Amino acid sequence: MRRSPIRELLAERGASFVDRNGREIACCFSDFEQEYAAVRDAVGLTDFSFTNRFRVAEEGLDVFDRYATGSVANIRFGRILHTMAVDADGYLESELYVANDDEQMILIAESLVIDEAVVSAIGEADPAAGLENISETTVLFGLDGFNAWAVAKTLFGPDVLGLPYMSIETYELNGADVKVLRAGKTSEFGYMFLTEAENGVGVWTAIEEAGAPFGLKPIGFDTHMALRLDGRFFNIHEEGAVVRDPLLLGLQWMVDIEGDDFRGRDPLMARREKGLTHKTIGVVTDGPKDALSPGDQILHGDEVVAEVVTSALSPTLNTRIGLALFGIEYAYAGLTFNKRDGSRIHTVSMPPFTAKSLTIRLDEM
Amino acid sequence: MDKKLKAQIDERKAIIDTLKADLITRLNLSYRSEDLHEDVSLLGSGLGLDSLDALEVVLGIENSFKVKVADDNISILRSINSIVDYVIDYRSGREVV
Repeated sequence: MRRSPIRELLAERGASFVDRNGREIACCFSDFEQEYAAVRDAVGLTDFSFTNRFRVAEEGLDVFDRYATGSVANIRFGRILHTMAVDADGYLESELYVANDDEQMILIAESLVIDEAVVSAIGEADPAAGLENISETTVLFGLDGFNAWAVAKTLFGPDVLGLPYMSIETYELNGADVKVLRAGKTSEFGYMFLTEAENGVGVWTAIEEAGAPFGLKPIGFDTHMALRLDGRFFNIHEEGAVVRDPLLLGLQWMVDIEGDDFRGRDPLMARREKGLTHKTIGVVTDGPKDALSPGDQILHGDEVVAEVVTSALSPTLNTRIGLALFGIEYAYAGLTFNKRDGSRIHTVSMPPFTAKSLTIRLDEM
Repeated sequence: MDKKLKAQIDERKAIIDTLKADLITRLNLSYRSEDLHEDVSLLGSGLGLDSLDALEVVLGIENSFKVKVADDNISILRSINSIVDYVIDYRSGREVV
């Protein structure tokens, strides 16, 4: 099992760990609602070192272009592409960030398959491309929350506030080079920090110190998954792992429809030609907080119209929220259905609320 | 499907169809209407509209649906669905967010 280079420090902070596809992940540190509130109201720090990370010289970008469904070749300097990789049958394998960073391309993957399968899939595309697997020699941390911008400013100066969403820039922190990715999946301000593993403990503790005045807490990945759901960010580990077909998940925006070949393109495009039969839609319940669980059937009268694929408690909404796979004729927000136990299920537009971070203007920072 | 539900779906579908066609044309998107999930983010990750695109979208909304959108109301541009919610609420006279 692959472990984080800063595992001991995470354990000291109270982390519990789980194994997910051969990767050890810090799943929680404290109470879920405290961790959730830290991100929505303050700031949270998460270890994403379980991701697969690769870099290749810019001239070798084809190796990523043939793996990712999006157009890696068209990523502008200093920018990040949010895309995915599918298997040979066109079903989800990995969710990707690919960054064009100063004469090199960096790929970060959250994957449903084991490390060896990711390495094999990318490496087989072009073994001579000079690909470097940096999953064990680097660390990746996520800083998310209403106050994340203030912590980033403390660490790197006001210049960091000018980074556009989905961009990458290198900064120095206590003598260590840190690549700052302006990206996140909670709908609050988000940054990711990529640095060499030997700098991991120093960078993590520097972020903790800078974040203390702003209410920073370490956040487990379990809480992050709930934040993704009610922030309406795709989660490959939840709805992605259940549904697997990116078309039913509404991920067409991650595909370069008119672009070059990528693994699994033909079967994916063949399904696209046939048209959608189902679609994932956001749902909430006004029943008890446990009244929405994966596998639950949603009815219109006596007809089964959908099945819940993922759910989580949303403290912001004070109810349980989820995604359900609806038959296409019923796949609309703003409708009310029921479950066999009589509880009502409402389909909702996602995300169902405006994150506090969207209310801050640049001149207020 | 009962009549009330069908009427709700028909109203929403008509707005979605008009809005998607307008987005594809105005923004010169390479996607088909059915490729655009109604919850896809319009700003940032997702379709990645910039501020000029956002202005185009707002103009399109105002022209197509005869609604007014306040200059500082960025929240309705979260997704296609959030725009549809706005149009439905505006038409019904409910307070719009």
